[in-house]
Amino acid sequence: MDTQYQATLETLERLRAESVSAGGVQQIETQHRKGKLSARERLDLLLDEGTFEEFDVLKVGRGSSLGGVKNYLGDGVITGHGSIDGREVFVFSQDFTILGGSLGEAHAQKICKVMDLAVKVGAPIIGLNDSGGARIQEGVDALAAYGEIFHRNVRASGVVPQISCVMGTCAGGAVYSPSITDFVFMVEDSSYMFVTGPSVVKTVTHQDITSEDLGGAKIHAGASGVAHFTVHNDVLALREVRRLISYLPSNNRLQAPILDLSDAPDRTDPVLDYLIPSNSNQTYDMNVLIHSILDGAEFMEVHAGFARNIICGFGRLGGQTVGLVANQPAVLAGVLDIDASVKAGRFVRFCDSFNIPLISLVDVPGFMPGPDQEHGGIIRHGAKLLYAFTEATVPRVSVIIRKAYGGAYLVMNSKHIHCDVNYAWPTAEIAVMGPKGAAEVIYRKEIYAAEDPEAVLDEKMEEYRRTFANPFLAAQRGYIDDVIFPRDTRSHLIRTLQMLDSKKTKGPDRKHGNIPL
Amino acid sequence: MFEKILIANRGEIAIRIIRTCNRLGIQTVAVYSDADNRSLHRHLADEAVHIGESQSQQSYLDIDKIIAAAKATGAQAVHPGYGFLSEKADFARAVQEAGLVFIGPPVEAVDVMGDKITSKELAKNAGVPVIPGHIEAVKDEEDALAVAEEIGYPVLLKPAAGGGGKGMRIVREPEQMKEALEASRKETLKAFNDTRVFVERYIEQPRHIEIQILADSQGHVVHLGERECSIQRRYQKVVEESPSPVVSADLRTRMGKAACDLARQAKYVNAGTVEFVMDAHHNFYFLEMNTRLQVEHPVTEMITGLDLVELQLRIAAGEPLPFDQSGVTFKGWAIEARICAEDPARGFIPSTGMITRYAAPRGSGIRVDSGVNIGGKIDVYYDSMLAKVICHGKTREDARRLLIESLNGYHIEGVSTNIDFVTSVICLPEFAEGALTTGFIDQHFEGGISKRSPSLQYLQLAALAATLIYHTRTVAVRESLRHMVSTIGGKRDMGRTHHYRVRSHEDLFEVVLEGTPVSGEVCTIRVDGSTHKVEIPVFEFFRRRLKLVINGLPYRFRIRFQDSFIFMSFNGISRLFEVYTPKEWTMMQYMPKKADKLLDNVLVCPMPGLVVDVLAQKGERVFRGQNLVVLESMKMESGVASPVDGIITEVLVNKGQAVEADQVLIKFEVM
Repeated sequence: MDTQYQATLETLERLRAESVSAGGVQQIETQHRKGKLSARERLDLLLDEGTFEEFDVLKVGRGSSLGGVKNYLGDGVITGHGSIDGREVFVFSQDFTILGGSLGEAHAQKICKVMDLAVKVGAPIIGLNDSGGARIQEGVDALAAYGEIFHRNVRASGVVPQISCVMGTCAGGAVYSPSITDFVFMVEDSSYMFVTGPSVVKTVTHQDITSEDLGGAKIHAGASGVAHFTVHNDVLALREVRRLISYLPSNNRLQAPILDLSDAPDRTDPVLDYLIPSNSNQTYDMNVLIHSILDGAEFMEVHAGFARNIICGFGRLGGQTVGLVANQPAVLAGVLDIDASVKAGRFVRFCDSFNIPLISLVDVPGFMPGPDQEHGGIIRHGAKLLYAFTEATVPRVSVIIRKAYGGAYLVMNSKHIHCDVNYAWPTAEIAVMGPKGAAEVIYRKEIYAAEDPEAVLDEKMEEYRRTFANPFLAAQRGYIDDVIFPRDTRSHLIRTLQMLDSKKTKGPDRKHGNIPL
Repeated sequence: MFEKILIANRGEIAIRIIRTCNRLGIQTVAVYSDADNRSLHRHLADEAVHIGESQSQQSYLDIDKIIAAAKATGAQAVHPGYGFLSEKADFARAVQEAGLVFIGPPVEAVDVMGDKITSKELAKNAGVPVIPGHIEAVKDEEDALAVAEEIGYPVLLKPAAGGGGKGMRIVREPEQMKEALEASRKETLKAFNDTRVFVERYIEQPRHIEIQILADSQGHVVHLGERECSIQRRYQKVVEESPSPVVSADLRTRMGKAACDLARQAKYVNAGTVEFVMDAHHNFYFLEMNTRLQVEHPVTEMITGLDLVELQLRIAAGEPLPFDQSGVTFKGWAIEARICAEDPARGFIPSTGMITRYAAPRGSGIRVDSGVNIGGKIDVYYDSMLAKVICHGKTREDARRLLIESLNGYHIEGVSTNIDFVTSVICLPEFAEGALTTGFIDQHFEGGISKRSPSLQYLQLAALAATLIYHTRTVAVRESLRHMVSTIGGKRDMGRTHHYRVRSHEDLFEVVLEGTPVSGEVCTIRVDGSTHKVEIPVFEFFRRRLKLVINGLPYRFRIRFQDSFIFMSFNGISRLFEVYTPKEWTMMQYMPKKADKLLDNVLVCPMPGLVVDVLAQKGERVFRGQNLVVLESMKMESGVASPVDGIITEVLVNKGQAVEADQVLIKFEVM
């Protein structure tokens, strides 16, 4: 054989081996000791066996402008494409063992390449983030590199699903990429996200705070709402990413795949007839209803720990993925507040981007009162959810379970904002406000003038309750399409979705609306 | 025979009585409290009368209200069921004075048998062996020591009033007497407002064996054999059976005679149960007599073929017994399991909630007496027993196996139950051998967990089922996407072997599916070394129960999905099964062990509102999930649950107090 050719082959072998072990066996062991997997191991679990096609194994950086940094093959990130349950996805997995997974020019170019291809072929982009941030040694080149990624995150937004799985640190400007993506996973105890890290916080504000307390998985799952999902460890994180993907279409031109779970579309559940307590002031768990109606009782809840007074998540009805938005009366009586409005608003817009029908289950007594909410801007934030539902052109179906008062009734996907089909349970109370508030306003003069104001108020409340705390007035007007038996909810929803399957509506011709932010 | 009777009870016994009345064409009147507004017993009766608030004092224990209800509806007789007022002489008297028939014994019999001291005296007079002991209450410590000396240690201090184990203390040596006597008196005073305590010999390794008797108003008395009720937890029966594994025909005759003699001595009429304690040498001693129908009466019904409620009604109506002792025959074996709404994993605290899924076992030899159905609300006001499962077989082993299978298939969701705890009891080899004593549960269990690990064979079957479910579910996704996958270069994986690693607690299994499981076909599945032929059913994941035919035998599993793991309930095993592919398993070795998170030692207020009620007090031991405070907020009432298992060290709020979000309500010492 030609010696030239032989030499080339040997070089190729050597370079590939170098790239694969670039970080060094010891560094990988350090990752393992920290309870983390290596970048390659993660991809190995994420993708179907033997489907990974890697790009740019041999790509290197141009050399740092501030000198002194070794060039690593692959530049600290592994990129390419593979399949998840047979469907193509594009991936990048940052390698913490190489320069701390820091993002340099070449590193970013690799990521941009797969993002561009993903948009071209219409396949999801999954990023496994584990990076110290921008590579300081590359200076502004590193910043420029980030910019290019952000640009593509935005261009791909609403075109292909983008998922970020933060499996280590994600700090500084780097956090903006995941925050633009559709869903963020964080691994407990080993992942952190913050714009400014603990050491700088200490220097500037003299506050001592750990990475975990500043931006660990618990914080972002609960307080900030930055993380949509938290998982116990790397292995389970990748399983959950695969699970999420199974609910989603590959791109915005397709519908999500149908999955047959052998669950009859006309299955009735008698427990639903008993779910609502006879006392209007007692709570119940909305999750019972959610699990009862969905195929296989399977529900992937998004933002489970954030704004728990509203429940958002994916399920299937008749095999088809649906996006569920439901008030949770067991938490804060199911009121809408700033966090709930923002959480649900984003979820609704994601579903609208990707042809996922929206189902809302309504039991909302109103918006949360008080100066905290008002000063916090509930006016602006509440409007987000209203805007999101109204703007959505995917099939929309609503079921009013119990309370639907005032503005919150309108916001929660009502007929008046052009929800396609609205059902109500016999326990529905569709009214401008609750009996007490209404009675106090309408009969104010009478109550004030009475000998026993309390008794008159009680009497008027009872009268109001009897007249308005039911779905019949709304039904008379056609504001709801039917009053259904609770146990039949699932079969009504599936029939309705079948009918709406071919729904085609278009918004007005404009660049985009101006959703309050 | 009566035309209409009122049932002064609730739950499963009320429904049980209604069932017999329906068969006999007797109209039924049920009574119900606020909490039982939507109850099953209320709706199954012909008529129902609301008798008051949820607390038993205001409803089921209110004699006047019950009598009024009977009069208002024209009921001719009252059946008291068990518990509540069934053994209150005042109630029996009030019923009679109202001109109604009390379906039970005469007032005098209720009176004399209700008191431990008088009943023991009567037993002695009837020639029934009694536990060596003093029939008078002890006067003081000196007296107690003298009596104990006379009877012989070990001795038991027993309160004269009440039962359920309250106030009882075992004393093995004279030195322990002072403290034990003080503690016993204190507890008795608190529970029964009575400090009478008497001393008797403590029987070691006792078995609790009772005799069912029936007596008519014409003086005929028969016994219907024995029931063994040794499986108890804190003096509450959990599993009962008839006959007893240690009672021979001769012993049965002797015990039966003793019970009948006692009944005659007491001039007893109607159904009753004479309870004995038996020592290791099969000597039996009178314990007490229950002057009512017992919870465990179904086991007697199943082996005698008799309907005890019907016989109670006939006797109360004045009819003579339709058979004599020679007419009583016993066939086969029956075992009963009491199903309660409690959480064995948390010290058996009562569990509340709404039943969201309910499927009771059915079939030949299986009887379920249930008080609840789907949608039933379980509160804390009443006894936690939901239902009884009774299985009958030709032999004891047949009955035991049928009961295990029945319990495996008893699907209740929404409240925690002791179903798997009871199954683990009857799965123990010692239970299969019949080596029972009243110390059985304490001996073999720590809290609700068996001291011994479950059998490997059972664990393997559970691992097999978990893997099959996991595999099918995962494959289902792949198959559904098949039409969307590029047709270029696709692979089919039929006929491949699928390897999995399964972990449950500290146990690891290797499960191999030889070939892809196809519904309707047999798949060979290997678990570690053993091979199993499994008939693959159609998987209906929403059902959350699975029946698998493995090697020709049916096994029932109950399932809960927890993230991507599977919680299996089978043969008393209640565990999470983690199924991994071999690749994932290798990677799992690097995953950190989940450290026990530092637990919050405070209860914080979730939202601004008003404290409506404080349900626990300082020093009380509470459990995670137990409601401690009731808050009213946004015009809704909700419970605030304890985040930990612990002891309350401080309660910082009062009823009626306004509270803010994040305000500390209660402090704990975490356990």
